[in-house]
Amino acid sequence: METALSLDGVTKRYGAFAAVADLSFQARTGRILGFLGPNGAGKTTTLRMILGLVRPTAGQVRVLGETDARKLRRRIGFLPEERGLYRRMTPVGVIAFLATLKGMPAGQARRRARTLLEAHGLGEACDRQIRALSKGMAQKVQLLSAIAHEPELVILDEPFSGLDPVNQQALEAIIRELAGRGATVIFSTHVMQHAERLCDQVVLIARGRKVFDGRVDEACAAAPRRLVLEGALTCNALADAPGVVRVVHEPAEEGRTRLIAELAAGAPVQAALKAAFQRDLDIARLELKEPHLHDAFIVLTGERDAA
Amino acid sequence: MSRLLAIATREYWAFVRTVGFWLSICLMPFGLLMAIYASGLAEKTAPPPTLAVVDLSGAGYGDDLAAAAREDRPIPTLVPAPGAPFASPADAVRSLRPFLSGARRLPGGAKLDAVALIEGTRSAPALNLWTREIAEPALEARLADALGEALRRNRLADAGLAPAQIAALEAAQPKVAHFSPRSGAGEVSLRDRLPSYVGFAMGLMLWSLILTGAGVLLNSVIEEKSSRILEVLLTSASVPEIMGGKILGAAAVTATALCVWLGLAGAALASQNPVLAGDIAGVLFQHGLLFYFALYFVGGYLAYATLFTTIGAFCETTREAQTLLGPLMILMSIPMIFMGQAIGRPDAPLIQALSWFPPFTPFLMAARAASGPPWWQVAGTGALLAGMVGLELWIAGRAFRTGALSSGRFDPRLLLAGLAGRGESA
Repeated sequence: METALSLDGVTKRYGAFAAVADLSFQARTGRILGFLGPNGAGKTTTLRMILGLVRPTAGQVRVLGETDARKLRRRIGFLPEERGLYRRMTPVGVIAFLATLKGMPAGQARRRARTLLEAHGLGEACDRQIRALSKGMAQKVQLLSAIAHEPELVILDEPFSGLDPVNQQALEAIIRELAGRGATVIFSTHVMQHAERLCDQVVLIARGRKVFDGRVDEACAAAPRRLVLEGALTCNALADAPGVVRVVHEPAEEGRTRLIAELAAGAPVQAALKAAFQRDLDIARLELKEPHLHDAFIVLTGERDAA
Repeated sequence: MSRLLAIATREYWAFVRTVGFWLSICLMPFGLLMAIYASGLAEKTAPPPTLAVVDLSGAGYGDDLAAAAREDRPIPTLVPAPGAPFASPADAVRSLRPFLSGARRLPGGAKLDAVALIEGTRSAPALNLWTREIAEPALEARLADALGEALRRNRLADAGLAPAQIAALEAAQPKVAHFSPRSGAGEVSLRDRLPSYVGFAMGLMLWSLILTGAGVLLNSVIEEKSSRILEVLLTSASVPEIMGGKILGAAAVTATALCVWLGLAGAALASQNPVLAGDIAGVLFQHGLLFYFALYFVGGYLAYATLFTTIGAFCETTREAQTLLGPLMILMSIPMIFMGQAIGRPDAPLIQALSWFPPFTPFLMAARAASGPPWWQVAGTGALLAGMVGLELWIAGRAFRTGALSSGRFDPRLLLAGLAGRGESA
């Protein structure tokens, strides 16, 4: 599979401050890559370097085979983090205008705009002014304007922010559809659920540095599994059980105690469970919690208060 | 190029499609007509002032002043002074003061607006004009002239001249003619003066057009900056394409306004005074003023539009922009101060010197164009203006991207970094 994007040792400094430091990763053609990190991690700066808006201090960015994305404007679609549109234009006008800038003939761009709007449930809003649309509708229009020219590489900066759950789901469908027709999609986010559902690959950065690059399940493996027991338990009931790294206890319903046992990487859960039953513990409820990307994000970025 | 045109087209229609644009287009001639007719209308609708003439000189000067006052516009209503006769000027002032202050009214309820109090003697009269309002310079001048003429008549009569001789002396006026080598017919006519007037009008029009166009641009860039559309545009077109498209679009907006206004003015003038309309058209084409106007419009517009566009890229609100535009507006007002002198004394050293300062060149050279300035001055100032525009475009190209990608409040250090090309990107 071809590489749509590669960053090699990319650094961006503003004076003494390194917004991005020695960042390297690749994105395969036709895949969805989640670019994850806490606020201020350097995601937007990296995306701007990929787009050619900001020049790296060091390293090289290669987009669709070129070292300068500005030569490939027609093949790239971009949705910025903070959003807005021409308030007095219609959705058809805005989408057609931006598609025209990307090289699509004006007539074709207008037809394409109408088709897209109708396909995404905005057919009735085609000729209304943007200022008359709801925030969710306007955001959808902006996303459509980023992909109307059918780009090969789509870069979305925090595309889910500000959207209600229904529109978030619709956006996920659009992203899958883009990848389905062969486009490479890169989106930044600090909300892990979307990345977990969508991404073939995730790149995590923190304080400008890459902390993980790989599949979602590989990322999740970095976070510990947890064994949750509820019942008439003492706080140290599982403390020395095999494979248990640490135990957190908290009060549960009906006067019970909840023990959350963090398992060591690769430790079999059966050993801990066996130990629990051998000690004849009064267990009312038992649950094995597999780690999510959210947990991996916290472990990998060290941002316990993030996300 | 197609992207530049697409941006220009959007920019143009974004303004021309608004009701506000056509309202301002229509209101401008309406406002002009109001300005012309407003003062006349105010005079016509205002009640005529009331004037009392009190002659304590005993020489009959009161009749002369009353006659002169009737020639004033609006014609004052002459009323007898309440409380007359008066024993002395002080007595007159004491009696009339309450009427002038509004404490008392004339019989019939009218206010007393002015009193012309003549004292002194036949050979040395004095006029004390008392008025309700402070500002009555026209009435004061007219009455002073009338008293002066009456005094001269009396002195001539005292010197033994017959009334017919005095009347002949008063009627004597020299024949004055104005000649200039620049006038084709020898004697200077309105047609000869027309190029100066047209040049002056062009300078003013240029100034207001540039200001309007630059304002359109500034608002447009601020809207795009604050809504982050500018960031999307930067991923779709180059900085020269974005700036060029916006500048071209705003120029088309101002050109549309200009065409509508000139068309309306031309049609009105042609229907009211076809000869004058023909003369103005002749001046524009024969003296090459149209060429000068086009040249200086392009130069001036590019110089200021580039500056306004760049400033807009650094601002998210018009308030931020206003603080930056303050010094620029002061700079732009300087040529307006000298515009009148530029047509009256186009070769004055100060006017010539100011014409060489590129920010002033478009306005002052357009105003001087009618006087036919030396070719080397036209070429030299034009070259300097072109140089400044080139330099500005080069610097603005570097600063625009920095401004467009910046966020938060305006930071002067960022502007300086952008101007120096040390912004976020090349």
